[in-house]
Amino acid sequence: MLQYVIAGLALGGIYAIASAGLVITYVSSGILNFAFGALAYFVARFYYFLHTQHGWGILPSAVVAIGLCAPAIGIVLYGILFRFMRLSSPLIKVVATVGLLVAVPSLATLIFGNQAIQAAPGLAPEPVRVFHVIGVPVTLDQVIVYCCVVATVIIGAAVLRYTDVGLKVRAMVDSPAMTGLSGTNPGAVSVGVWAVSIFFAGLAGVLAAPTIGLDPINFTILVAAAFAAVIAAKLRSLPIAVSVGLLMGIVTSLIQRYLPSDSNWTTEIVDAIPFMVIAVVLLYNLVRRGSFGDAERVGGPLDRAIVPQGESRLAGSTASALDAGSIGLLGRYAGPALLMVVATVLPLIVQGFWVGLFAQAFAYGIIFLSWTLVVGEGGMLWLCQITFAGVGALTASQLAVNHGWPVLAAIVVGGLVALPMGLIVGFLSIRLGDLYVALVTLTFGLLMENLVFTQNIFVNQGLGVNMNRPTFAGSDLAFTYLSLAAFAVVALFIVNLRRSTTGLALNAVRWSEPAAKTTGISVVQMKVLVAGLAALVAGIGGGFLAAAQTSAQPGNFATFAGIVWLAVLVTVGVRSNVAALVAGIAFVMMPSLAQAYLPTWTANIPPVLFGLGAIGVAKFPDGTLAQQGQAFRRFLQSRIDRRPAPLAVAMAGDGPTGTIPTGPSTPPAPPSPRVTQDVSP
Amino acid sequence: MTPTSPETVSPTAPGRPTGDVAGVPVLAAREVSVRFGGLRALSDVSIEVAPASIVGLVGPNGAGKTTLFGVLSGLLRPSSGRVSLRGEDVTEASPQLRARKGLARTFQQPELFMGLTVREHLVLAHRVRFARRRLLTDMFNPRALFGSKASEDERVDALLELLDLTRVAHAPVAALPLGTSRLVEVGRALAGQPDVILLDEPLSGLDLRASENLTEVFRRVVANPDHQVSLLMVEHDVAAVLALSSTIFVLDFGELIAQGTPEHIRNDPAVRAAYLGEEPPVSRTGTDLAFNGTDAS
Repeated sequence: MLQYVIAGLALGGIYAIASAGLVITYVSSGILNFAFGALAYFVARFYYFLHTQHGWGILPSAVVAIGLCAPAIGIVLYGILFRFMRLSSPLIKVVATVGLLVAVPSLATLIFGNQAIQAAPGLAPEPVRVFHVIGVPVTLDQVIVYCCVVATVIIGAAVLRYTDVGLKVRAMVDSPAMTGLSGTNPGAVSVGVWAVSIFFAGLAGVLAAPTIGLDPINFTILVAAAFAAVIAAKLRSLPIAVSVGLLMGIVTSLIQRYLPSDSNWTTEIVDAIPFMVIAVVLLYNLVRRGSFGDAERVGGPLDRAIVPQGESRLAGSTASALDAGSIGLLGRYAGPALLMVVATVLPLIVQGFWVGLFAQAFAYGIIFLSWTLVVGEGGMLWLCQITFAGVGALTASQLAVNHGWPVLAAIVVGGLVALPMGLIVGFLSIRLGDLYVALVTLTFGLLMENLVFTQNIFVNQGLGVNMNRPTFAGSDLAFTYLSLAAFAVVALFIVNLRRSTTGLALNAVRWSEPAAKTTGISVVQMKVLVAGLAALVAGIGGGFLAAAQTSAQPGNFATFAGIVWLAVLVTVGVRSNVAALVAGIAFVMMPSLAQAYLPTWTANIPPVLFGLGAIGVAKFPDGTLAQQGQAFRRFLQSRIDRRPAPLAVAMAGDGPTGTIPTGPSTPPAPPSPRVTQDVSP
Repeated sequence: MTPTSPETVSPTAPGRPTGDVAGVPVLAAREVSVRFGGLRALSDVSIEVAPASIVGLVGPNGAGKTTLFGVLSGLLRPSSGRVSLRGEDVTEASPQLRARKGLARTFQQPELFMGLTVREHLVLAHRVRFARRRLLTDMFNPRALFGSKASEDERVDALLELLDLTRVAHAPVAALPLGTSRLVEVGRALAGQPDVILLDEPLSGLDLRASENLTEVFRRVVANPDHQVSLLMVEHDVAAVLALSSTIFVLDFGELIAQGTPEHIRNDPAVRAAYLGEEPPVSRTGTDLAFNGTDAS
């Protein structure tokens, strides 16, 4: 028993250090850093680069990688990115870190090379010494982990409690605005916090590398597991996060003692333990309190008072709302119509292999439309749309191939199987708050990936399950047009939804939940509705993708691949149907074009670009390319139609309250800066 | 502006009892307390809003007015105490359920839906109350593609006219200044034909003319014999509150320190102390400033 506890403390220690870094970043900046694992990987890879590839000693490698490089990354990230996001909504911040999560591993490969790494060293010299503590073998690597955890707890607590710096950090946690007014530079404190946070990431990365290997996906899974401790700590309590991290490690180790070591189920259950912890914690809070209360709130009343309403929401900004109001029918529909024509013609121009790629691109477009629904219309960040696509694909292939169903019926039923999953996950998570929706959906995706997609009925010895195409669309070209038609149907449905009462209500929920509620709209009902619809669309898209690829492979629907998909869509634009189509084409064609016409090393450039594009959502909530499209539409509109916009007509006379700001080309100050808000309790 | 008669915007709202029950307040809070950790934001506060009345709620900054509005509208759960709407206990009811039962509110800083136009705000509020099913069924209706021919047009247009918002009806609200945004919030609240509206500083940010117009709208809406609406108004413009309200409640440090008619409140020593400090005013001019001026905070 003791042996398992000691072994578990090593894994738990890594969870604890990672969760400490996540909590520190969140409480001091309001950013839940989804890229923590990717950054941990980057530092660990740099350590390997110095120590193994270039023969540096352990100490200098550790000092340079963990002591210098990691804090420097934190400082740079704060300087070029996060300091501009202080007033952004939590979801915008999460998407920016998702962009980093996508970009950083590929960036590491570009910098350090893509050589295969069999075993990664830790901080202990090779061969690693083994001690015997009351008869239990303990490696020097494990001892170092224990020491790091103890040092983290003691030094962290002492600094926070007894030093001037700690006082400033605690003041920042309570209210950055008040801290600034008291003469402390919040920016300087934030720089320090980010440096410490990424230092923790680097430390956790180097400590974890000998156990989990130098694989970026494993690192992100490790940090996703650390999210369990962070959620148990309600994103804020450092002692609870560290304690739960340690406990999870011990429990994981103990469970391994009682499960058969030669069973696949053992591996699957052990991998799923952190996510089960998340599920239990969420359900407990949901049943006990109905919500996590104001856990997502960062800062004090003054900080909330100075946030202008709706300036930086996910999938929308005041400027884009103005833009939408100023564009006429021609400006609004000319671009999409032109793009549909291009999408229709292109498969006729290209040949062979490339035609089949277009079928896949349009199928991806359908899946991306599910994010257009749930993010663009629902204002929520769902990280498991790929899981719903997988459910649709695997169900459709089972029905079509093993049960002889007509292919289209199988695809629709695949979507219908995903629909209740979306409704249930939505119902359980939405009332907890936006950040928890992101965390829960990530957890759900990983659970499905570990427990369901690994079943042999789907894996089929690694071959997957074949998927037919409808007999009337058996050729690549015919199926390409069938996919495009399906995309058009879903896109038209979304257009209709936006213009309907449902769309008005969703818009209301997206922009102001308190006002929506007091107008009589059930926020949970509307969000669950759009989540279910999005799951349905993703499931159908997954079915089409499987048919386009002529097989349903569970490995194609890994949760982290879905995060890359999201980054692609966010880069192009998450509120536009056309953007989903462009994103689908870009996602499929860019790697293939690079593979066909460019050197091999360039394969890592598209992920970096998509990651950087997702980071750009901080500046352009509608997506970078969508922003350019809006500018083009405004130009087109100004050339074709010189009539003044409705607002301009309204402004021509005396308004009821005097001067009205100028038109959309000069976005006015937000109508409700909360500078005069009563900050009384 | 020539305000349209509110009679044109007053159908029978669903979920409302037919006829008033004599003596039953349209909205009441009984011994409501709210604690935030160790801080007691409200202590055993009881207020009542009579049918077809304008009731003022005043107090210095930090008095607990916004907290009380949060409790009344359901956005905040009280630590203790009850809230009733037309005699029905709604303490445990969600904000949306209270809205469906006839409670509407505006916000201290207007909470508008940035992607919608002014008119769409009113249309949405109207449909939520009178055509609720459309929230779920409209997306499957292909006619939504070709624009709306809504039957509520007449009522919505009348409200727009009443609030002098017709000229900006199709403008995105993101472009509107603060004063107009307040009018849109009032319009959205009225569009649902509520029994009682909580108005959180409705006059702040309005110029004199707009303020007078809105005050007149409030009077007309309350006086409408076909559909009587009550208003509970938090307002720092004490002069306006004294002029408009039939009853006024005064909060200070989370406690109800006075209630009564404007005349009673004007002469209440506790109210004077709350606004001017414990020391009695040295000169009469100072007193007049507090109660005849525009902002007593």
